[in-house]
Amino acid sequence: MGYTITEKILARVSGKAAVKAGDEVMAKPDFVIAYDFPGYTDVYFRQMKEEFGIERVAEPDRYAIFIDHMVPAATPKEEELHIGTRQWCADNGVPLYERRGIGHQVAAEVGYAVPGAFVVHFDGHISQLGTFGTLAMGIRRNLLEAFVRDRISIKVPQTVRVNLHGTLQKGVMARDVFHHLVRTLGPASCRFQVLEIAGPALSQISNEGLQTITALAMFTGAVTAIVNPDEGRLAYALPRAKKKIEPVFGDPDAEYAAVHDLDLTNLEPLVVIPPTPANSRNLSDFLGLEIHAGYLGSCASGRLEDLRIAAKVLQGRQVKSGFQLNVVPTSQEIMAAAGREGLISILAEAGAFISSPSCDYCFGRIATMTANQRAVSTGTLNVRGRMGSPDSEIYLCNAATVAASAIEGAIADPRKYL
Amino acid sequence: MLKNLRGRVAFIFEEENFDVDQIVGVKNIKITDVIELAKLAMQSYDQDFHAKVRPGDLLVGGPNFGYGHPHYPPMRAMLHLGIGGVIAESFSPGYWRGEISMGFPQASCSGILGLVERWDELELDWDKNEVRNLTKGRTLLIEPLSYADRQMLDAGGLIPYLKRPMPSAEPAQRGTSSCNAQA
Repeated sequence: MGYTITEKILARVSGKAAVKAGDEVMAKPDFVIAYDFPGYTDVYFRQMKEEFGIERVAEPDRYAIFIDHMVPAATPKEEELHIGTRQWCADNGVPLYERRGIGHQVAAEVGYAVPGAFVVHFDGHISQLGTFGTLAMGIRRNLLEAFVRDRISIKVPQTVRVNLHGTLQKGVMARDVFHHLVRTLGPASCRFQVLEIAGPALSQISNEGLQTITALAMFTGAVTAIVNPDEGRLAYALPRAKKKIEPVFGDPDAEYAAVHDLDLTNLEPLVVIPPTPANSRNLSDFLGLEIHAGYLGSCASGRLEDLRIAAKVLQGRQVKSGFQLNVVPTSQEIMAAAGREGLISILAEAGAFISSPSCDYCFGRIATMTANQRAVSTGTLNVRGRMGSPDSEIYLCNAATVAASAIEGAIADPRKYL
Repeated sequence: MLKNLRGRVAFIFEEENFDVDQIVGVKNIKITDVIELAKLAMQSYDQDFHAKVRPGDLLVGGPNFGYGHPHYPPMRAMLHLGIGGVIAESFSPGYWRGEISMGFPQASCSGILGLVERWDELELDWDKNEVRNLTKGRTLLIEPLSYADRQMLDAGGLIPYLKRPMPSAEPAQRGTSSCNAQA
């Protein structure tokens, strides 16, 4: 029996010739990543010193800190948190990425998505580095382990493989593929396992689209998602890689907990209705539902292909009066590229409010909804209160649907505008 | 080693993919004062919960318990009210990791919903890997804890666990079940 890509990566970082799913190992992450957030990084920094007597991390280049939440700061307390983070990074010699964009995206841009690397974060959406064959896991508060020891305890997870087949129709995006996967396999289908995306249709999905799919892996119960990177993924990741690691690939006879096949040919745009990411539905069943706000952004969207399709929908048209459309490119690099392509001007002329990159729209820190308001969103999540009042509602959908709904002030099918 | 848990079934959350934030209500999720959180807990399920619950009582949950975007306050409130742990059909990994790192016992037990009624007396035996319903005289197996999770619960959470010597780099044990609930 062969090994999955996950088993091969975890074998290397635990210093073993081979490991199999179910083994418990002590693994040394290639990179330890976090964004500054109250209750997480400030607590780690304090606990390192006070509980463990550690003044500085031993290998600062193995760590990376991002400031992407509470950007820009709205209260003195938020700015104080950022000041503490900057100081800690300076004292420790740890790289800090501030105002570059949403960290999970910037991490890929600056070279932490090294094919074959093992990366940990407290936030589970780091799984999107799996697009490039990186095994990246969100381990919540347990990330402290990676700040006070060089190795962390981990049980090698099993893998569920999903083979994508067929051809995506116009107006159907990677986002829909993910929600289709949840609808078909279930929100617990990959519990405590790795979601491995494969199959002939994978090559149609761009790096950006795959970042969307892998970013959302946690909503299948998966601990992360990964692919065996093809030439296109490697061509992006290898030239910028922060560490030289030989890329690894799963064996043809690797052992999977389950293998599923998903045909994308007849897939239509989907919408995920509140209050849980488990609620995938056909968009066609919700057309005309009144909507007050739209959010195009987050670590699971807001990339060039999302901005391009939104601009295509909105070109020469207007956001409905009173509708609040917020467009937030995911990184400075993406925003600059969108500017060069003329997308920003199209979106601005249509009436979109365009913000520099920030995580803050996704969790309601700004653009906050009040009771009885309803949004379409490419954000990560639609649980109660995620974007404001617990009595507001979030309908998750693809970027084209957000743009089309902004024109009509109601859930709309984007395909008629494409 | 880990002490058995013994207590009554204080509540059964049968809902699949249960979002634990509902326990205190989403609008209260940013409250940090545990006494206030404990007062708010369970108000939409059983307003007299506080009066009925006794130290050591247990919660029972359905499949994929803790799905969504779980926060820590609900179970901080439950701990404050004396709840000794949660036994569910299965757990969502993010929730599981979060609570184990807080030192709050969780046990994955396929069939638990069919084993218990509210207020039955249960015993959770970590060495035999079983839940005994003392009221009904029936028993079910739980999924064994991983070595690290067991150590973390035994230590009382992440910080005391990390103060213990680091485990050796050798595999502590091979998982005994194909669907172990710890990654």
